[in-house]
Amino acid sequence: MLERHIEALVTDDPGAETPAEGRSRLKGHFPAGATRRMTTLGLMVGNALSELDPGRDDAIVYASGFAESCALESFLDSFPAPSPTLFQTSIHPSAVQQLMIQRQAPVGELLPLSGGSLFAFHALRASLLSPARRVLLCGGEERGTWLLDHGLASDRTYAFAASLVADKTPGALGRVRLDRAEGEGGLGLAAWFDLLRGRTPFAGLIAPGWRMEMEWL
Amino acid sequence: MADPAASVQVAACGCITPFGDAAATYAALLRGECALRPVAVLGRDGGDEVPLALIPGRSLDETAPPEWLAAVRRLSESIPGGDWGSPGRPVFVTGSNFGVGGLYALRRTGDSSFAAWGAFPTCTERLRAELGWGPDVSIVSHACVSAHLGLLLASRLIWAGVADQALVLSFDFLSPFVAGGFHALKILNSAFPAPYRERESGAIGLGDGAGFAVLARGRGDWTLAGQGLYNEMHHFTANRGDGSGFSQCLAGATAAAQGRRVWFKGHGTGTLDAGRLEVAAAQGAFPGAPIVGWKGSLGHTLGSCGLVELAIAIESVRGGRTPGTAGAGGRAMGESVALESFDNGAFDAVVCASNAFGGAHAAFLLCHA
Repeated sequence: MLERHIEALVTDDPGAETPAEGRSRLKGHFPAGATRRMTTLGLMVGNALSELDPGRDDAIVYASGFAESCALESFLDSFPAPSPTLFQTSIHPSAVQQLMIQRQAPVGELLPLSGGSLFAFHALRASLLSPARRVLLCGGEERGTWLLDHGLASDRTYAFAASLVADKTPGALGRVRLDRAEGEGGLGLAAWFDLLRGRTPFAGLIAPGWRMEMEWL
Repeated sequence: MADPAASVQVAACGCITPFGDAAATYAALLRGECALRPVAVLGRDGGDEVPLALIPGRSLDETAPPEWLAAVRRLSESIPGGDWGSPGRPVFVTGSNFGVGGLYALRRTGDSSFAAWGAFPTCTERLRAELGWGPDVSIVSHACVSAHLGLLLASRLIWAGVADQALVLSFDFLSPFVAGGFHALKILNSAFPAPYRERESGAIGLGDGAGFAVLARGRGDWTLAGQGLYNEMHHFTANRGDGSGFSQCLAGATAAAQGRRVWFKGHGTGTLDAGRLEVAAAQGAFPGAPIVGWKGSLGHTLGSCGLVELAIAIESVRGGRTPGTAGAGGRAMGESVALESFDNGAFDAVVCASNAFGGAHAAFLLCHA
């Protein structure tokens, strides 16, 4: 059985907000001028993660299936004269690096994952197996444009960051546990995000042979 | 961050490069051969010629389905065991490219058949189906340290008793997308790379490559110990000038190497500042240890370099001789840089290190189990 306590949680579900509206909403959370080259996902994940004040000894598990879709689209559009800046920012795990480089904040362990129908399980398993005292599980997606037409980007924009600790702390929000179990199941990243956003209890299979229990206090 | 719990056995390991499998690649490196050739950076769309090492018969231009799939299938045939992707035998697929060449072809041609392998999840799901794996397939992508992260995550599952074996498979095949990106950064140019050598300006080459490792507890000839990670978060494409990122990452391998005589398989892409910092850190942590890098011949196999070069390091130990640092000429950046091959019988461990964008570093110690 693998278990951690949810010490803190930040979620951002902007609905139909446009990238420009999102930038306007979040730019005050970053130093002046810092947001000009940040992606939508970088702004949202960066804002959520910064509220947890990531430090050198934290482990960061970053989960995004499609990552910087809009930077990727723009990089592809920039050929035959490809943009070096868009190349850098389109590479996984740019969203986390956009924040941490801005803060000049080194971190020992950064584990960037992608995934599909078992993504919540894989991100949680990586988080719960980390030896770090505090694991910051963060992630999200940004809505694509022409890549979305081909099923190669998310149809929804959202971000989250959760602080997971081994020992229960005062003010803990909840607990998440993984255990072996018989049966089939799956839980994608967006469905996992909805559970977090709604602080919804869950008990059930999220991968073949694996059950998750999430309780909120 | 060093992870003292991450000592685990390698039950099997292999790779594929333009020279062939691990044994063929090792033999070619010992002979001093270079797989890099001048290739137009955008394939059929032209552009400057840059040093790329492509699997024989493969074009830089993407096909649908991708040509590289045949190479991954060949590699997978050498993976022992079965039931991969089941709850007790998880798979970690790592890399930095996946099917991104398909996105370039999709955008240039509008042909939607290129979309099928284009994104991390879709590419991995198709690969899973092709190779007959079960559903427990994690996707790890952290640019050029991706394979190291897959090894670390797989190690943790085994040590936690969550899995009895785990497979890490990494693949990176070149396309105009990635060649164009590195060319835009100006580090992929017309010059051939000369890792760990002083010259007027730096240059890298890129290469096709794939590798795998089966990790197990208590079974296998090789041990991975002192796996460490460190992320400088100083700049997307530059390291801290004091080299602290390189040194910090080696802490776990240094501790694991106590009492052993090691040689150092470095990252060594051919960029100047990173090369100097890496050599200084390696000489500081492992005084007198010979330093080698093979990307001057194979090109940089990107997210897969950690596994490709692990397989070659294992062949080197088996063969009793380590291929020297490959690449164009120039004065070595330090006295420990081994430009010629050397007998390694007097050594009993190898430090394997890789670096990536964002000042990401990863390293481990390879030794006999």
